[in-house]
Amino acid sequence: MGNSSTPADPPAIEAAGITKSFGRSGERVAALTGVDLTVRTGTLAALLGPNGAGKTTLVRIIATLTRPDAGRISVLGFDVVAQPARVRARIGLTGQYAGLDEALSGRDNLVLIGRLAGLGRRPARERATELAALFGLTEAIGRLARTYSGGMRRRLDLAASLMTRPALLVLDEPTTGLDPGSRQQLWAVLSTLRAEGTTMLLTTQYLEEADRFADIVHVLNHGRVIASGTAAQLKARMGRAVVEVRLAEPAATAAAARVLTGRLALPPGAVHAEDGTGRLTVTAASRAGVVGEWAGDGTGTLLAAAAALRADGVPVADLSLRQPSLDEAFLALTGGPA
Amino acid sequence: MTGVGVARAGRDSALLAGRQLRVLRLNPGRLIYPLVQPVVLLVLFVSVLGNLALARGAAGGSYRQFLIPGILIQNAALTAPSTGLGLLRDAGSGLADRFRSLPMSRSAVLIGRLAADAVVFAAQAVLLLAVAALLGFRVHSGLPGLVVIVAVAVSFGLALAVISAWFALLIRDAEAAERVLYFPAIALAFVSSAFAPAGDLAGWMQPIARASPVTAAAGLIRSVAGGGPVASPLFHLTLWVLALAVVPGMLAVRRWQSSP
Repeated sequence: MGNSSTPADPPAIEAAGITKSFGRSGERVAALTGVDLTVRTGTLAALLGPNGAGKTTLVRIIATLTRPDAGRISVLGFDVVAQPARVRARIGLTGQYAGLDEALSGRDNLVLIGRLAGLGRRPARERATELAALFGLTEAIGRLARTYSGGMRRRLDLAASLMTRPALLVLDEPTTGLDPGSRQQLWAVLSTLRAEGTTMLLTTQYLEEADRFADIVHVLNHGRVIASGTAAQLKARMGRAVVEVRLAEPAATAAAARVLTGRLALPPGAVHAEDGTGRLTVTAASRAGVVGEWAGDGTGTLLAAAAALRADGVPVADLSLRQPSLDEAFLALTGGPA
Repeated sequence: MTGVGVARAGRDSALLAGRQLRVLRLNPGRLIYPLVQPVVLLVLFVSVLGNLALARGAAGGSYRQFLIPGILIQNAALTAPSTGLGLLRDAGSGLADRFRSLPMSRSAVLIGRLAADAVVFAAQAVLLLAVAALLGFRVHSGLPGLVVIVAVAVSFGLALAVISAWFALLIRDAEAAERVLYFPAIALAFVSSAFAPAGDLAGWMQPIARASPVTAAAGLIRSVAGGGPVASPLFHLTLWVLALAVVPGMLAVRRWQSSP
């Protein structure tokens, strides 16, 4: 299956105005209320959102399992509603629940799914052996799947979706419920796949995963994509960098807070200090503007704070600048508890 | 369906039938219900009722000769709900989504399962006929007769399996489906000529019993075993098999495809 990227390649996923509601008329619950989404080939896109945001519904629509009520969506250039068979031939799905027959061995599962996807008997067996090795399942591959641990089951399930080398891999919360070791193992495999050029869309509740691994993060909330961009862009959009100050003498905390507020002419609340701890934080005044005589952005705030403290002779042990975390950006975007 | 579609459906059905049979091979405990329990039921029924002086002349003279075809069909009826429940188990697991996301034939999910179940029904019938022979059941038409009897049990079982598949997918809830499917399977044999000639049943039951597919199937087996009229029960059974299998089968496949 060729997935070499030329400029003429259609996007892996292109969705516009997708809506979907469930339930009987009268008490219908809207799961998606107008999703616009583009995923370029060769990227790893994360779909981030709180529970009930519509992540699974969107994944099911992309994987041809559920029809949208309205809107247009194409996967690798094929319309999901009009050409589901074409889409199915090109995608791999790892759902929230393992798509395995627990009463069969790991190998039986892989071969069955590979053959149902169109592989011949020998290629299916060879691919199963190859994937078992890649996923560290070589020892267990002959055992019944019901004897597998949660992490092994998840890896087997992922292997099953890779039997035909899909051009697009869709994963619904692949790491939920896994212990840290298994999660890391799974991410190692996903990173290998990305390096090989597989386009991936995955949903996750773990912001840290989206931050570390995704090329693009799409934030889904109340059935809509409310923000898209790299993790860094989302954090920047959320805005202000934070300067963290650690004083050499904890007793000087209150004095330092007065100095910073006064000299930098900051609004109340921009400086946070806990008396006697020697730790203060200063939120940048603006993203790009100028405040008084100094640049109000993160770097400007850092320099101004350092100058102010030095001028008043407050000894500083450490001064650092950090961007808001994706958690903070996510909560700000989704209006969740801060 | 196009030629390619038919070829694909055949291939995928064979793959899924192979899956079911492999599950049975790897998990032999699952054969207790379709194979061991029927033998126990047969021995119990024949031991308790087999010596009654009922239904003389109805099928080769003895009640035993009359009763055993009824028990054969009763057991096929009791096995049929497994098809629906198995399909429902798949539908409720991640496997259903996996299958639906593959470029495979849609009907293969049902056809493959039925093909594997046909093997189970056949094994059940052969086993019951072997034990029945030890209990004194005689098939006067020899090996061809035995083959026909197995075919009758398999067709009857599959027709009920299809309708159970549709009902199970309609009900969706596995626990409820289990209760709903087994009860009629048990009642079906009683409101028929499985254990007594239709003419000997309570008056209100007689019209239902005469129309019952169990009556047709058991009657056909009795005729094949003891030499009796074949055309009428064969016609009757064929109508039932077509009615229970064709449209409900298509509805079951559609129901499988439509996800919640």
